[in-house]
Amino acid sequence: MEYAETTSTARSSPRSGIRFWRKLKSPDSWGLSVGVFTTVICLPILAVLIHLTKAGPEWGHLVETVLPRYLTNTAVLVVGVTVVALLMGVLPAWLVTVHDFPGRRLFSWALILPLALPSYVAAFVFYQGPEAAIPFLIWVRTNVGIDAFLKAEIVIRYGLLILMMGAVLYPYIYLACRAAFSQQGRTLIESARCLGDRPGAVFFRVAIPLARPAMVAGAALVIMEVINDYGAVHFFGVPTLTEGIFRTWFGMGDKVSALRLAGIVMLAVAMLLIVEQLLRGRARYVEAEGSSIPLVRKRLNRGKAATAFLCCLLPLAIGFLYPVGRLVQWSWLNLTSDRGVSLTFGESLSRGLILAGTTALVVTLLAALFAFGVRLRENPLRKSCFRLSGLGYATPGAVIAVGVLVVFGGLDRLEISWMPLFSGTIFLIGFAYLVRFFAIPLQLSRAGMDRLGPSLGEASRLLGRAPFATFLRIDLPLLKGPLLAAAMLLFVDILKELPLTLILRPANFETLATSAFSLAKEARLQACAVPSLMIVAAGAVGLLIMNRWLSPANSHE
Amino acid sequence: MIKTLSTLLIFGAALQAFAETKEVTLYTQRHYAFDETVHEKLLKEKGIKVNVVKASADELIARLEEEGENTPADLFMTADGAGLDRAQKAGLLQPITSPAVIDLVPATLKDPENHWVAVTNRARVIIYSKDRVKPEELSTYEDLADPKWRGRIVIRSSSNSYNQSLMTTIIAANGEEKAGGWAAAVRKNMARPPQGSDRDQIRAVAAGLADLAVANTYYVGLLETSEEPADREAAAAVGLYFPNQEGRGTHVNISGIGVVKGSEKAALAEEVIAFLLSEEVQASYPENTFEYPVNPAAPWSENQERWGKFKADPVPLSTLGELNAEAVRLFNRAGWE
Repeated sequence: MEYAETTSTARSSPRSGIRFWRKLKSPDSWGLSVGVFTTVICLPILAVLIHLTKAGPEWGHLVETVLPRYLTNTAVLVVGVTVVALLMGVLPAWLVTVHDFPGRRLFSWALILPLALPSYVAAFVFYQGPEAAIPFLIWVRTNVGIDAFLKAEIVIRYGLLILMMGAVLYPYIYLACRAAFSQQGRTLIESARCLGDRPGAVFFRVAIPLARPAMVAGAALVIMEVINDYGAVHFFGVPTLTEGIFRTWFGMGDKVSALRLAGIVMLAVAMLLIVEQLLRGRARYVEAEGSSIPLVRKRLNRGKAATAFLCCLLPLAIGFLYPVGRLVQWSWLNLTSDRGVSLTFGESLSRGLILAGTTALVVTLLAALFAFGVRLRENPLRKSCFRLSGLGYATPGAVIAVGVLVVFGGLDRLEISWMPLFSGTIFLIGFAYLVRFFAIPLQLSRAGMDRLGPSLGEASRLLGRAPFATFLRIDLPLLKGPLLAAAMLLFVDILKELPLTLILRPANFETLATSAFSLAKEARLQACAVPSLMIVAAGAVGLLIMNRWLSPANSHE
Repeated sequence: MIKTLSTLLIFGAALQAFAETKEVTLYTQRHYAFDETVHEKLLKEKGIKVNVVKASADELIARLEEEGENTPADLFMTADGAGLDRAQKAGLLQPITSPAVIDLVPATLKDPENHWVAVTNRARVIIYSKDRVKPEELSTYEDLADPKWRGRIVIRSSSNSYNQSLMTTIIAANGEEKAGGWAAAVRKNMARPPQGSDRDQIRAVAAGLADLAVANTYYVGLLETSEEPADREAAAAVGLYFPNQEGRGTHVNISGIGVVKGSEKAALAEEVIAFLLSEEVQASYPENTFEYPVNPAAPWSENQERWGKFKADPVPLSTLGELNAEAVRLFNRAGWE
């Protein structure tokens, strides 16, 4: 996806300190706003990171006992899920952009649908897998022995978890690769074809090298999701670093060590982003001239079309059709039984939709304005602001929630007369979403502005428009597509969000995610399927709208 | 956009209008749908509206700490004694004063200084496969470490507070060293690494993956009356055994409640607690959540009577909080995930 591809286009170069200080001494209002906004958005994270240097009372014990296991599990999941997601994402993206076969148009949009499925919901559906494997395990125990039985259990469970997470997260890679192939692949692919390369050779000699930056960018997002996942790994009994944070904090009451773990997770993600940048090297997306001419898709013969069809169907089936099919089945069983959940989710639904929708719009507008402010004058200060403001995406939701509580609890305690009390209000949740997800619309706005180029904005400025007027008149209308896409993606993410919402919500506040969580806590799977299905449905609609705005090439077919 | 904003404004105005009625705010760890029924009854009979925030006990404790005296919370409720003890040690609770509340609850089920009282309780018991285990083979929690159970036990993760509380009682009874050895031996006897909820453990025993599980009593009740036939079949395939009856007794834990320090509605909050402890409400817990009532006047449910009376470990619940971190450390060393 574009926003990730440009994650760090703003490369800081060691410019002369003199210019830096001159800018500092004469800050214009935009620079000031960018700086102040970055500070505000980073405060909750700072409140957490401050603990990084301190070792809590349990730190030594953690390093000695559980930390190695958390690290191993995290590494196994990161590698396994990334491989699965790459396998599921790259080939279908290639197939739907440069080939033609029955079902291609359907797959082109349907393949992003697994993003609508929260991993904790997918987990409780897929946990049926280990349960279904019990007869096989019993057979192993009676015929092979107890050690083989114990090993087989672990292999099945880890395997299923990796397959499931890969199948839910591959769309990040699929979207990035699809964009890469359709935007700049045309000339190269057609040249390769003219020179007589067979389709397989084109894939390995042109597509894979071409998609490398997209693959890396998509994989970076997948890895961040894996590292930050709490629900699914807990369900499958595979404790990772993130679970370690909760265990240390809640079980041992050592908040300092827990937050230090969180700091390590964030550092790991930051390193990942640097590696991503290095791996991407100098590769940049430059839209080739004349790219508005669509690529001529190669029609596949019957046998190959069937293979292509299966290659696209498989990830979709594992990541969406099967889990959603089970959710539909369970919901139906629940709603038709006399002891079904009463349909009290109407309020959760509308409340969740309003909250997610409003927040998504506001955050996207702020991000666009922020990206515009940074682009106005790209000095090192603003570039670092740009990077810092996206830090929340690398932070576990529960940790941000605590940071937000610390900041606003402190503010409330100052008892400033004109300021309302923030504790326990919906504002805190909205602000926490802003901190957590700001990176998404920021990167998408930035990518959109980069593609737009500076000339239009400069013309407007030369003709005497103020920056803000330029933003309203030029950037905002022209960026409508990417911004709406960002808002929709944000909307889906907020709809799915759980840990942060749980901790910060005001009284009597249920969203679909929290309703589903309560029912899952009572282990009422069929009942839990009802709100879960609603999340998926709302998310799927959002994603399809996003897909339309994200790929104009697809929408005017 | 304007439409959503105006909806929010109307929503806010509606909240303002509500502020005139008698209201208390409850931070609770309990996720039971039945608690909402109790709150509706409270509104109907006493005219008190309960505003609810649900999250895990320690998340709520963190929130109370950061909100300080500006917290909207009046009441704090957990599904585990250790959580209440931690809240009290953090200075977040104030003593309950109403004699009507204090005198109703047996001494073992409340804080010595009345910072909190139990509302319900339950036992953590051994669940066995009726096909493959005879009850005579069972005796104590300690016996679960015996090598004869190799590959035959399922039990959930040690990050779960029920297991942490159980572990504190094993430390209290046998000392740290033996408790650590016990955890390591039980871990070796597991049929699979810890995963899932108590309900999943019972299902695994019913499906034949393991022969023994450790679970809270009310899970058996929930399975027996589940809307899903597979759950009811699972409940029928297992038996329920109260361990350590010859010795200190079975480990009992509570759901309990306390008044948040600095609450301006302490009297109202205590009225809510008194309501939760009233005979009528207490009698409804066994029938719906299958927890035991703490009010001695309230009768047990049919299945609780069938499970039978049992001797409870008298270790004070405040011990659970004190030894909790030690319990987690021992679990970590034992490799019990």
